[in-house]
Amino acid sequence: MDVDPRQFDQVVVNDDDLHSVVLSYLVHNCYKETVESFTSCTEMKRPADCLEDMEKRKRIFRFALEGNALKAIELTQELAQDLLEKNPDLHFDLLSLHFVELICSRKCTEALEFAQSKLAPFGKVQKYVAKLEDFMALLAYEEPEKSPMFHLLSLEYRQHVTDSLNHAILENANLPSYSAMERLIQQATVVRQCLSQEQGKDAFSSFSLKDFLKS
Amino acid sequence: MARPLPIEGDEEILGSKGVIRRVELVRIITKALYSLGYEKSGAHLEEESGIPLHSSVVNLLIQQVLGGQWDEGVATLKKIGLDENIVKSASFLILEQKFLEFLDQDKVMDALKTLRTEITPLSINNARVRELSSSILSPAKFVHVGSSSQSSTRAKSRSKLLEELQMLLPPTVLIPDRRLEHLVEQALILQRDACMFHNSEDKEMSLYKDHQCGRDQIPSRTLQVLQVHNDEVWFLQFSHNGKYLASSSTDRTAIIWEVDPHGELSLKHKLCGHQKPVSSVSWSPDDSQLLTCGVEENVRRWDVSSGKCLSVYEKAGNGFVSCGWFPDGKWMCFGANDKSICMWDLEGKELECWKGQRTLRISDLEVTSDGKQIISICRETAILLLNREAKVERLIEEDQTITSFSLSQDNRYLLVNLLNEEIHLWDIQGEVKLVAKYKGHKRSRFVIRSCFGGLEQAFIASGSEDSQVYIWHRGSGELIEALPGHSGAVNCVAWNPTNSHMLASASDDRTIRIWGLNDLKMKHKGPATHCNGVHYCNGRT
Repeated sequence: MDVDPRQFDQVVVNDDDLHSVVLSYLVHNCYKETVESFTSCTEMKRPADCLEDMEKRKRIFRFALEGNALKAIELTQELAQDLLEKNPDLHFDLLSLHFVELICSRKCTEALEFAQSKLAPFGKVQKYVAKLEDFMALLAYEEPEKSPMFHLLSLEYRQHVTDSLNHAILENANLPSYSAMERLIQQATVVRQCLSQEQGKDAFSSFSLKDFLKS
Repeated sequence: MARPLPIEGDEEILGSKGVIRRVELVRIITKALYSLGYEKSGAHLEEESGIPLHSSVVNLLIQQVLGGQWDEGVATLKKIGLDENIVKSASFLILEQKFLEFLDQDKVMDALKTLRTEITPLSINNARVRELSSSILSPAKFVHVGSSSQSSTRAKSRSKLLEELQMLLPPTVLIPDRRLEHLVEQALILQRDACMFHNSEDKEMSLYKDHQCGRDQIPSRTLQVLQVHNDEVWFLQFSHNGKYLASSSTDRTAIIWEVDPHGELSLKHKLCGHQKPVSSVSWSPDDSQLLTCGVEENVRRWDVSSGKCLSVYEKAGNGFVSCGWFPDGKWMCFGANDKSICMWDLEGKELECWKGQRTLRISDLEVTSDGKQIISICRETAILLLNREAKVERLIEEDQTITSFSLSQDNRYLLVNLLNEEIHLWDIQGEVKLVAKYKGHKRSRFVIRSCFGGLEQAFIASGSEDSQVYIWHRGSGELIEALPGHSGAVNCVAWNPTNSHMLASASDDRTIRIWGLNDLKMKHKGPATHCNGVHYCNGRT
């Protein structure tokens, strides 16, 4: 059973709310120019410093995604000094990105030295040991892409770390760390799931954004 | 050196059964000589017999491994003509040693190179590769927990490496260490297990002749007759530490006897208070307390050293029929005549109760020493094994009525007495299965009990209505003794858990007999000097 589309018409959605949702998405992902044009078109108020912060975040974001973790770390320290200290997991992940870079460029000696100086200290804490072992294992393979840990070299992993970094920076600046759009979609999906659990299976199909937008 | 000519009669096969190959025997003797340190003799034997311990390739491998020539060792491995998988595993072991020795010498880059170019390409044992990789970061800085710390990341000794290689390589290639020793031990153990009278720790086994104990190791002679109870003695049990014996009787009392260091028993306390015959007793796990159960009456808890009654446990409207302890000594288990089993704490508070047909009106109850299972006769022909933790119930089912049972010390076996004069031994680990049967004793009207006993509980003893005590060898099922002495049905027997030469029996003739070895010198005490009712005798009535 699907919801009758006519019921949607009864819910009034405020324009301002819609604008906020879009804006938050744009800000979250650092689309600076788009933010500028969007805010001027809709005559919305822009928080001060917003553009500058976004620009900085964007650069950090980019470096991390490319794998230039050291630069990303440097800029993050400039932006918010104690951020990485407060988020050791993130710090470790960023350092590991650099390690992976070195491995991929086949610079084993450097990689080993980097690991010994920067990553090893994390090994004193139990929860990092398994992660550390995963990364160290990459050293054993002349072709790390063929090792069991090949996923650590992938773009998905870098994106995952970059997203975490983004969240951390936003949180630090007291901005929401998730964009409203993302949250709304998550909400709709979860509510659907709960409803179908209550009504018994097949009462509601799982929420699919694609299908929903087509309907 | 020219190979010596074969001596006449130099057959391939040795021994009267035709199963020993000369070459194999000589090689394991040679190996034994070397292991014992007789290098010259070992070498001489190789020469004289013309049978080398190892082929020259293998000798080379051994040299190379002990000498740390790893690459040569790996190359030699390939020349032995082994299965490919074995070559890989053995190469892995050798290269791992190379890696670890580099690390020990701080040659980190060499170690890394070995790992990357030689070990990883073998494509086996990825988990170990991962561990080796991690060990490059100085292990001292890590918190090693779990597998990382158990398998070592420091180089083992080269002779240990050789041992591990030997376990990997087929035994024809590299003779296993201590093979001759192992074979001899096997023979000795088989002899010991076959020995039906093996009941003494200090009987040493010799290689000179087959081991065979004499009958004199089994208690078969009455050393004491304890005559204090005024009526039939139904039940007996030694304390866990073997220092006390508790007996219970239709005369409504239970008695605690003390066993002195010479093996003589004397009366310590007479426990009065029950208004009904006392059907059973149960020692607390630390032997400091005793539970006594009156037939369909109450259960009393006594302090062993003072003989005082500490508590009386009653259940309104129901009598108890059996009692037992849980291993922590804080909880007790009772069977009630409404057929339920309940678990009480020392203050008398009920913690748990299993209702329904769990026990019969006259029934045995035991708790395994790990506290996990409660065993009870739940129907005439079935025994219930109730696992408290897993909440699983198993049944032992017999064709005949079950009269009593007894649990072995290791909680693995149950001895079940049946109406039809058979005693069945059941293995209760996993799926229950019948393992052995013992026959010979007599039983027609009464509950007769049997027990495990002797060195490593290798014997079964039972009472009998023909007034004798019966003893079987547990492994073979052979009846080894039927001991006369009592003048009434023997209801219960108990074997001292710490003295394999002491057996006690309880009879309708109101006495308890203590049995011991036949060769003990007997003490004679004057008949009227102590009137504590304890007689010493020389084994006849």
